[in-house]
Amino acid sequence: MSEIVLSLRKATKLYAGVPAIEAVDFDLRRGEIHALVGENGAGKSTLTKVMAGVVTLTSGAMTVDGADVAPKTPLEARNLGIAMVFQENSLVPTMTVAQNLFLGQEKFYNRLRGIYIAAQQFLQSLNFDVTPTATVGGLGAAKKQMVEIARAVLHRAKVIIFDEPTASLTPEEKKYFFDLVRDLKKRGVSIVFISHALEEALLLADRITVLRDGKHVVTDDAAKFDRTAIVQAMVGRDLSNTLYGRRKSSVRPVGARVLTVQNLKMAPMVKNNSLSVFAGQITGVFGLVGAGRTETFKIVAGVLKRDFFHGGEILLHDKPVRYRVPAPAVKAGIAYVTEDRKVEGFFETSSIARNIYLGLLSKFPQRRMMLSRREADAVGKTWIERLKVRTIGDNGKVVELSGGNQQKVVIAKSLVQEPDLIIFDEPTRGVDVGAIVEIHELINRLADEGKAVVVISSYLPEIMALSDRILVSRQGKVVEEFSALEATEERIMYAAIH
Amino acid sequence: MIAAVKEFANRFLGRGDATITVPSFDGALKPNQKLESAETLLTCNAPEDLATDGRNLFVADGQRLMCLNGGATSVVRSFERPISALCALPGGGLALALGGREVRLYPSPSAVEPSVTFADAAFNAVNALALTDDNTLIATDGSTTCGVDDWARDLMELNRTGRVFRLDPGNKTVTPLAGGLGYAFGACARGDAMLVSESWRHRLVLVAPGASPRIVLRHLPVYPSRLSKASGGGYWLTAFTARTQLVEFVLREPAYRRRMMAEIDPEYWVAPRLRSGISFKEPMQGAHIKTMGVIKPWAPPRSYGLVIRLDADGQPLYSLHSRVDGANHGIVAAIEMGDDLVLIAKGPGRVLRLPLTGLAEEFRP
Repeated sequence: MSEIVLSLRKATKLYAGVPAIEAVDFDLRRGEIHALVGENGAGKSTLTKVMAGVVTLTSGAMTVDGADVAPKTPLEARNLGIAMVFQENSLVPTMTVAQNLFLGQEKFYNRLRGIYIAAQQFLQSLNFDVTPTATVGGLGAAKKQMVEIARAVLHRAKVIIFDEPTASLTPEEKKYFFDLVRDLKKRGVSIVFISHALEEALLLADRITVLRDGKHVVTDDAAKFDRTAIVQAMVGRDLSNTLYGRRKSSVRPVGARVLTVQNLKMAPMVKNNSLSVFAGQITGVFGLVGAGRTETFKIVAGVLKRDFFHGGEILLHDKPVRYRVPAPAVKAGIAYVTEDRKVEGFFETSSIARNIYLGLLSKFPQRRMMLSRREADAVGKTWIERLKVRTIGDNGKVVELSGGNQQKVVIAKSLVQEPDLIIFDEPTRGVDVGAIVEIHELINRLADEGKAVVVISSYLPEIMALSDRILVSRQGKVVEEFSALEATEERIMYAAIH
Repeated sequence: MIAAVKEFANRFLGRGDATITVPSFDGALKPNQKLESAETLLTCNAPEDLATDGRNLFVADGQRLMCLNGGATSVVRSFERPISALCALPGGGLALALGGREVRLYPSPSAVEPSVTFADAAFNAVNALALTDDNTLIATDGSTTCGVDDWARDLMELNRTGRVFRLDPGNKTVTPLAGGLGYAFGACARGDAMLVSESWRHRLVLVAPGASPRIVLRHLPVYPSRLSKASGGGYWLTAFTARTQLVEFVLREPAYRRRMMAEIDPEYWVAPRLRSGISFKEPMQGAHIKTMGVIKPWAPPRSYGLVIRLDADGQPLYSLHSRVDGANHGIVAAIEMGDDLVLIAKGPGRVLRLPLTGLAEEFRP
């Protein structure tokens, strides 16, 4: 049996004449973990979609176990032993775990009891703690991921492709996921995974392939890479210092107080939380998962409601406000850039211009009867240029964009409202390093223009690179404040835990 | 009727006026312990206000006027009533308020007779004096009903009777500039207008002749008091104590306040104080815990020490604190003298000195 289980030669895929991948060579060894890294738009997703039969090659060849293949559908790829676990899982939320596992493999007559027993045995064999009778919609991100993986293994996949598998997982869930991937490797399954977290690639992968602008740059053993080398290969220049390496030597002066939160309560996540946000500064908010950061600022933006009784007070420009829905908050000058862009950030099948224009529409004082397509296109074009959204044509749909460019659309949708207070919740989650730099530059520019900027992030280097002042949240309230000049990772983490 | 229903709903739901919250100390007001490291220049019984002619530091200590020159301390003179405010005049003169009811101007600190006396019948609690560019004086009067030492009662009665006067030594006239203030306590000239502290409304207002007071800074987590000019532009604003939820709650309970004022020794009222930790009878707020002889530094304070550096627009730049476990509480006056900031911590009865060098760099957020 050949050591190479899957290979691509001179793989090229064109979209409207524009190459998404161009003459890419790729080999996947049996039982190896192979990381695919690259900036957004580098062609990682296209390459894996070719392997999984989601898209077909324009030119080039693909072989599985030495035989030439050209899967045209995911079913054909699955029959070849290739399964893909998408970033947005493909499970049916209203069906049970067992039903999802056997979906597409139903027999003429199916006994539900038999399916549950088989699913139970199978999940136990994988050491997955998932109840087969549970409805998928009620499961957490990690458990859904487990079901996706179990389904891939059940289909006897010899190649499993993961697209950003850890983006929605907590640190504990990530650790569990890594153990699982290593277990699959022991069973002889080959793993391809896309990740923007370079540390994960370095930690988990046997080999790493770097793509840039749709072209193959380098493939080598993971042990021969370090973070700087990967970043350099990804972007063609040394960005590691620009990104997180440089420590702040000065902070912006404090401006007028824009937002005051006093004794805010929303059981059980926000407990007596008090904080202020000032104009012309970036206020970083750090905390572990469940510290109530997102909930606090969602209440500020009218996405969530505070407690009905004695819920505390929010003052915008020193005037008390209480938003029950986001629209009045938007009109008052508050923009919230969500951490879950795929669910809350945009309409993925609408065009980029339409999405950005929707942000502008919510700012208008009255509802419009007639919408101007010309105005929408003009607004869209302006912001696509301003934020350097990389798109194939102005009428491209958001779903066709890479993660970083999707995030830019979400940001543009908020900035078009010309807010005074902009809340970025995990602004660079699932975004490649090139786009991270651009988004960070944008956030800094907003603060320089005098806007009050809040950055919520679970990633300490990001908080330290961006913030002028850092608020540390723990168990539903802000427990510590640091100036960027006095903050160290140790002090911040200590405050977040103790 | 609608107002009554609204008030009932607000009290039931804890909203509107019934929201018992206090702004947090963050940003420029982020707590530190700098005031605890200040050098004590002088300890006295009842320090109230400061003034300097550039060489000498004058301290109002009860009825006595003290002078500090280098390391030497002397009593310049005594008055028949306590000095409630001090202000240095051009040419070495001194203005002072006595018992809050009279303002006298002396050509020199040791002069026997005052050059001008303002004893307007309207004066009741003159607590601060400031000089304007045209050499007239600004006087803030905290209350029409409570004396200068009875400020806690004024707060508990929710009085809003503070006033600002212009005193013209040239024609010996007193001109009211503003009224209805929530305990005016401190003023400082700013161009043609003047910045005035409103302690009970936790804000600074700009009072200009012929115009309504304009809010410059509001929603302070403290009770602001005297103001003085800072070198390089801007001001020093003292705050004699911090707001707490317990006091805010009591201020919304009229029946409780009435009984408290009628039955309890004022020393133990649930009210802001200039010092604490003296007696076990003092009221405490939840989380205000003392263990092994040490009060938690993050406990809600009964007394507090704070001075805030403001920029020329009246916005906070940074602040110097003495927290709940400190001693230098009840800061009521702060002036610059040479390269130092001199303060009065009325709680422990101290005159403090802090070098100005490096303060901004150390504490600017």
